[in-house]
Amino acid sequence: MDSLQKSFFFHSVGLSRSWGAFQNALPPGWKLSSLSERSDTRIFYDTFQWQAFSKGLAVMQKKGTLHIVDLRSGNDLSAISYRKKTATLFPSNFPESKTKALLSSCSDIRAFIRLCTFDVVVQTHKLLDDNDKTIGILSSEKWRQSGRDQNRSNLHLIALRPLRGYEREIEKFEKALSGNDGMESAMEFRELFLLLMGTCGLNVGGYSSKIKLELKRDAPIHESAQKLLRFTLSVMRQNENGIITDIDTEFLHDYRVAIRRSRSILKQLKGVFAPKETAYYLNQFLSLGKRTNALRDMDVYLLHRTEYSLWLPALLQPSLKPFFSDMEASRKKMHKQCCRHLDSAGHRSFLDKWERWITQTELPDAAEAPNASTPTATVAASAVRKSWKKVVRHGRQISRDATDSELHSLRIDCKKLRYLLEFFSSIFPGKTIGPAIGHLKELQDNLGSFVDYGVQLEFLEQRLSSMHPDGGDIAGVAATGGLIATLHGRKEKARRKFHETFRAFDCDETAALFHELSTP
Amino acid sequence: MKTIALYSIKGGVGKTAAAVNLSYLSSLNASPTLICDLDPQGASSFYFRITASKKFNSDKFLKGSKKIYSNIKATDFEGLDLLPSDFSYRNLDIELAEAKKPQKRLKKNIEELAGEYQTLFFDCPPNLTLLSESVFAASDMILVPMIPTTLSIRTYTQLTEFFDANGLDSSKILAFFTMVEKRKKMHRDIIDEFRDSPAFLSQTIPYNSEVEKMGIYRAPLNAVLPASPASKAYRALWEELQSNLQANVNEA
Repeated sequence: MDSLQKSFFFHSVGLSRSWGAFQNALPPGWKLSSLSERSDTRIFYDTFQWQAFSKGLAVMQKKGTLHIVDLRSGNDLSAISYRKKTATLFPSNFPESKTKALLSSCSDIRAFIRLCTFDVVVQTHKLLDDNDKTIGILSSEKWRQSGRDQNRSNLHLIALRPLRGYEREIEKFEKALSGNDGMESAMEFRELFLLLMGTCGLNVGGYSSKIKLELKRDAPIHESAQKLLRFTLSVMRQNENGIITDIDTEFLHDYRVAIRRSRSILKQLKGVFAPKETAYYLNQFLSLGKRTNALRDMDVYLLHRTEYSLWLPALLQPSLKPFFSDMEASRKKMHKQCCRHLDSAGHRSFLDKWERWITQTELPDAAEAPNASTPTATVAASAVRKSWKKVVRHGRQISRDATDSELHSLRIDCKKLRYLLEFFSSIFPGKTIGPAIGHLKELQDNLGSFVDYGVQLEFLEQRLSSMHPDGGDIAGVAATGGLIATLHGRKEKARRKFHETFRAFDCDETAALFHELSTP
Repeated sequence: MKTIALYSIKGGVGKTAAAVNLSYLSSLNASPTLICDLDPQGASSFYFRITASKKFNSDKFLKGSKKIYSNIKATDFEGLDLLPSDFSYRNLDIELAEAKKPQKRLKKNIEELAGEYQTLFFDCPPNLTLLSESVFAASDMILVPMIPTTLSIRTYTQLTEFFDANGLDSSKILAFFTMVEKRKKMHRDIIDEFRDSPAFLSQTIPYNSEVEKMGIYRAPLNAVLPASPASKAYRALWEELQSNLQANVNEA
């Protein structure tokens, strides 16, 4: 029902001219009646990867209320009182409400970051039909980016919003207007949103950690690999600031994925780069990754806070508090250390050096890197074939008991294969690569939860062994025990499911898909 | 969502005036309100300058929520929408009789509106038919405006007897006096007689020529002339109603 009531926006170069055009276009008997003039501030939010925008939503704070606006119609889908002026907001800041649900549907863990602020002066008029019934609201709006800068951009526009039940009349009027002299054609709220972000120099949808490169099948693999590495470097660079300002946990996560992907390219594409330099960079990235391991672990535990609490009966829940506050304290320390490194001259010069290496155009010496000039498609096919065979071979060798180390190493094999598929997805046919990734993902999910539960279990077991029941914190010990039992149960459940999951993966259908992928 | 029906077997007792003004007052408390005009005469639609879309008719109304949603129109007042009546509503009874479980039909049809509106008013046509029964089932409160005359009292008694005879919850019925002229002895006597009855609201609406002029303003009196005696009385009546609704909630 909301979708019916769509607002129109007219970008106005000369406000008086557009206004005149409006007056002229009014059907006989219709008139405008001045309602009010007011000014307010509008603040827009979205996550770093524009998840609200990709869901067709805009998050806007106006006069102490947070509105979730449908980008297509310009209508509020929800509104909730929110007076704070914060740089970020999370769904968890809000009580159970439609607003919270809508924000969560975009992302539960990413921060909604303040994008830009506008001072808006709105002159409102009622649009009356020949029966003197208000059928719409017409407003002339001056949007100006907040701040002291004299060159702040201005945007003048006229907004036409139908009242409920008068959509058809307003749409007819809009059609008549759009063809008129002095009027540009009407925009949807989405276009207005893009225009507003553009005036602030924001590139809507500009960040995604997903690899969306178009590789050329015939290009030398060296060139394609460099392209991929430049992409992973740009992901790292874009996320550094978010890690340092500690906006949310996903900046570090994306950063770490980019490190792993860079390493994976260097390691899996044999004979493409000079071995000595490759070894050096692999090592550097390994130690950069290690520097962030503990911090990421803390993030994961803290993200599990609610889940952990819910695993325990109410009696034991309070005793988790010191557990998490200890963790917060050590996370703070780790974060500081991590930032110090990211901010260091050594790190910066390393990245600059890396960038130079992945932008140099000449191919490495053929004696050192014999495969550098091989066509991308050929290398991709053989790398995928090898990697897939390895997953199948290792998977079939896994014993009935499916030991920790067997599953752990199969998980790594799967990850490698997954990275290869993602790197080269643009040169594979979509109808093959999609299902292949899908099948692999199911296996990865099983192995991933197995290993994740195992890591958490180990951490808690260590904690338990460091606890002294004589210290009086019996409830703390019991709570830790409770979590250990729950995690153990889940880990074993994942282990029991492994063979069944692997059998589903290791079937003729998957084999056919991978056969197609690995035939250049 | 609270559902209040403005209902009377007898016509010309100020049902529509009460529905229009009370729904307006309800919307002022930042509580989204819908007024559902069930009377084929369409007086409350007229008061808000609203006509139904050409394609809207009783058939669509009976089909339920999706059709209802798309025919709701905004009034000129924020937070107050109206579902206009259509002349085809004169056949609602015949159509209801052909429907399955006619008494429960309306209740079911409005269920989905609860997500959007906190208060819903029915402005009912003056009669006692299958549609009225459907309204009784769908409403939390049946508000009966009464001119303090013997004929009004008679129709009120008919209504309560109908409820009792059909096993309906007559405690939903609340009456109040309208068009009260203090200078008339009969008015004073009748009001006195029902003063202590729990089924009667204590606030009364005085006879006020401004109420009749609503047809000229085509807006709630409370929006146009909030200081008029009738506006003040509607305000007090709304307050009394709210505490009554609140008491119901507490009991539940």
